[in-house]
Amino acid sequence: MPNGYDLSGVSLAYGKRTVLDGLDLHVGAGECVAVLGPNGAGKSTLLRVLTGHAPERRGAVHLDGIPLEEYSRETLARRVAVVPGEASLPFAARVEEVVALGRIPHEDPFRGMRAADHAAVAAAIERVGIADLVGRDARRLSQGERQLVVLAMALAQSPRMLILDEPTVHLDLRHQVDVMELLVALNARDGVGVVAVLHDLSLAAHFFSRLILLDHGRVVADGTPDEVLSPERIRAVYGVDPALVRR
Amino acid sequence: MRDPNPTPSYRPRRGTSIPRRFAALVAIGAISLAGCTAAAAPTPTASATPVAAEFPATLVDDEGTSVTIPAEPQRIVSLSPANTETVFALGAGSRMVGGTDADDYPAEAAALPDVASYLGVVMEQLVSLEPDLVLALGNGGETPADVVRIRAFGIPVLVLYAEDVSEVLADIELIGAAVGEADVAATMTDAMQARIDAISAAAGAAGSRPRTFYELGAEPEIYGPADSSFAADMVALAGGEPITTGSTTAYSISLERLVTADPEVIVLGDAAYGATAEVVAARAGWAVMTAVKTGAIRPVDDVIVTRPGPRLADGLAALALAIHPELVLP
Amino acid sequence: MNAGAAARPTPAVRLGRLEALRHRPILVACGGLVALAVVIVAGVALGNVPVPVGETIGILAGRLLGWPVTATWPASAETIVFDLRLPRVLTAVVVGAGLAVAGTTLQGLLRNPLADPYVLGTASGAALGAAIAVLIPVRLALLGFGLLHLLAFVGALLAVAVVWRLSRTTSLSSLTALLLTGYAVGSLLAAGLSVAMYASGAQLRQIVFYLLGGFSGASWPQLAVATPLVVVGSLLILARARSLNALLIGEEAAANLGIAVRRERAILLALAALVTAAAVAVSGLIGFVGLIVPHLVRLLVGPNARVVLPLAAIVGAVFLAIADLLARIPGELPVGVVTAIVGAPFFLVILRRARGGYEV
Repeated sequence: MPNGYDLSGVSLAYGKRTVLDGLDLHVGAGECVAVLGPNGAGKSTLLRVLTGHAPERRGAVHLDGIPLEEYSRETLARRVAVVPGEASLPFAARVEEVVALGRIPHEDPFRGMRAADHAAVAAAIERVGIADLVGRDARRLSQGERQLVVLAMALAQSPRMLILDEPTVHLDLRHQVDVMELLVALNARDGVGVVAVLHDLSLAAHFFSRLILLDHGRVVADGTPDEVLSPERIRAVYGVDPALVRR
Repeated sequence: MRDPNPTPSYRPRRGTSIPRRFAALVAIGAISLAGCTAAAAPTPTASATPVAAEFPATLVDDEGTSVTIPAEPQRIVSLSPANTETVFALGAGSRMVGGTDADDYPAEAAALPDVASYLGVVMEQLVSLEPDLVLALGNGGETPADVVRIRAFGIPVLVLYAEDVSEVLADIELIGAAVGEADVAATMTDAMQARIDAISAAAGAAGSRPRTFYELGAEPEIYGPADSSFAADMVALAGGEPITTGSTTAYSISLERLVTADPEVIVLGDAAYGATAEVVAARAGWAVMTAVKTGAIRPVDDVIVTRPGPRLADGLAALALAIHPELVLP
Repeated sequence: MNAGAAARPTPAVRLGRLEALRHRPILVACGGLVALAVVIVAGVALGNVPVPVGETIGILAGRLLGWPVTATWPASAETIVFDLRLPRVLTAVVVGAGLAVAGTTLQGLLRNPLADPYVLGTASGAALGAAIAVLIPVRLALLGFGLLHLLAFVGALLAVAVVWRLSRTTSLSSLTALLLTGYAVGSLLAAGLSVAMYASGAQLRQIVFYLLGGFSGASWPQLAVATPLVVVGSLLILARARSLNALLIGEEAAANLGIAVRRERAILLALAALVTAAAVAVSGLIGFVGLIVPHLVRLLVGPNARVVLPLAAIVGAVFLAIADLLARIPGELPVGVVTAIVGAPFFLVILRRARGGYEV
């Protein structure tokens, strides 16, 4: 049974600028992959294609065998959760209230959260390990803690797949490692698929078993870290001395 | 030359003949006075000039609204100082139950409970006085919504607004008819008209018609009479050539325009607020005016000049003397 | 797994007793309803003219419940209680609720804690409409409504429609476009208002009274028309509380949560504008209610719109009814002055206690 994302011939252009160029890709539902590439390679755009926010794209995108366009927003949100890179809150909100937002695709629009929803929120908080942050204002947390909170929020959506866009950009090393370990654990233990755009090659190579390297809107490499991050490839795509990338 | 009888397009011109004819009937039929105070049936009469008794009366106010007054009013409320003065002057002051906080003449008027101020009518207090006649001020004096409201409570409201001197007299007669003192009103207005005519004639015979600026205020802008306004009318009757703001709605006049008009006489309507001849002469840019050079800056009691009430003839006299100090008035 | 080795303090009780209330929106709702009942009764019993409590009760029983009471009071007392005070208090309640709901909606929609119901041009549009109505020498009295109410209502809605339409043509991000366009259109309309005020001559007072806001003209027919608009509009907004909640973390994140952001924005904006227009048409421009009440409620019960909206309606109703009472007793102060005097220090206190202010 077809499972996960299937992209074939996906292209996207803004005016004259081609961002994605005939991209073919398959990501299984339970896979844990990192998407890498230099700036402008199309990584973020690829994520937008996956989440259905790129109506101007050409080509075919299927999720679990069904064309992406046929998914209603809500159904898609129940299936795929995006972990926002930055979350700004205009009003004070407690950690558990932010996590509870993840239940919106599941909520009854009139009656709001029911017992099952509350349980899912509690489970997500527990799973991410932020139980001691409960009750605090989410705006007062450190960057690392906030990242965990939005991760818990995405988890509360009970998704089958998590999509992350550079989740570790503002974090110190300790928190970067924490987030990576968590993602790997979620994938291994809970079977949640992960597609993460990362900028840190070392981190990606260490934690992910499958790397997808994009360059100029195309997949130029797709495989294990050793296969993908060969010295020639690094020099060709990034234009830097491969020795700079420690593995 | 200014049109002495300006008619705004939206306001129908109501005739002055109804109260006059009415007054004549009352003067002829003295017996009908006895029927005034009888409680009348609340059904309004069809004709505008009831013959048998004064009340119920259907009068047309200055906005063209037909107002029915079922019986001679015993609880009168006035919403402007001019109307209050008029009611007292007609001898019906004892039947007044409410006025405004600006009522200052006669002395008894100030003691009346205040139901209105510059901020508007305090509806609860007005209703609690249970008036059977309310005299309101038109043209922005009372908000139309308030007038509609009071009428909705079943209280007859006459809206009065006089744009010139002749309309003031007509309003006095209207009030007279409304309160059941039409004959007194007629006598009063006749006397006023005669006096006004005499003053005007004397002023006209003074030999000159000086350009006159009636100052209403000078801070932060210079305020004077608008075109075709009441104050302009008074100045013209008092033997002056009124300097106006140039528009019918604006009350402010630029210093340039005033200097170009070059008043020969400046009448200080704001004398009560501290304007004196010395203060005026000291103002920057005013020294070039003829009036300042010749010292023809004279204070006047603005209240009697611009209040459209029974003391208007006194006001005209004061204004005429301010414009022509050498005048001898009858 | 712990994100960090340092020990964490237990969650600090930051706002004192208020914290405990956060788990009990029901408590706040009940307290609010009790306060509302008290304020309504006080509003009917108190006024410029003393009416004995017994008479007040008798009048209300007779007119509202249809009890056969013999009138031992003068007809004027009945007029005062039933035709002047009761519709006035109820109008304040309805307008207060409406403005609070609209304020909550716009703050959530624009993700801006300083937004109020007037931020997208409703105030300027209504004011200009009212000014034009005053200038036109046409008398229109239909069911207790004048031209002023009608044009104020229409003006408010038109202004928002123009802002919405214009904001779509810019290339700025949608929220920025809305706010900036609202400011620009509002300024333009305010300029038009200045011209109208200058040309108004003796009618200026009427326009100024409208701008200051007040309930002195409240009547049953106005209440009968404004109430359904406010109630229905608010209920429809409440039904979409989910969208407002999703917008808490941002528009893109809300889209990822399954919300059709553009559509919801248009619908919520239209509903908030409708409620605001109905409120300003009957009461003029009353400030601070739509700005402060949502914040106050959020402090008590958190940002969940499903809870904030109904509670804001209750608190807004109480707030404005009290303000009207305070404005009325000393002798017809404009309500907007009272809400500003009460509301501004209140707002500063809230800001300080929340420690840290509000950042977007």
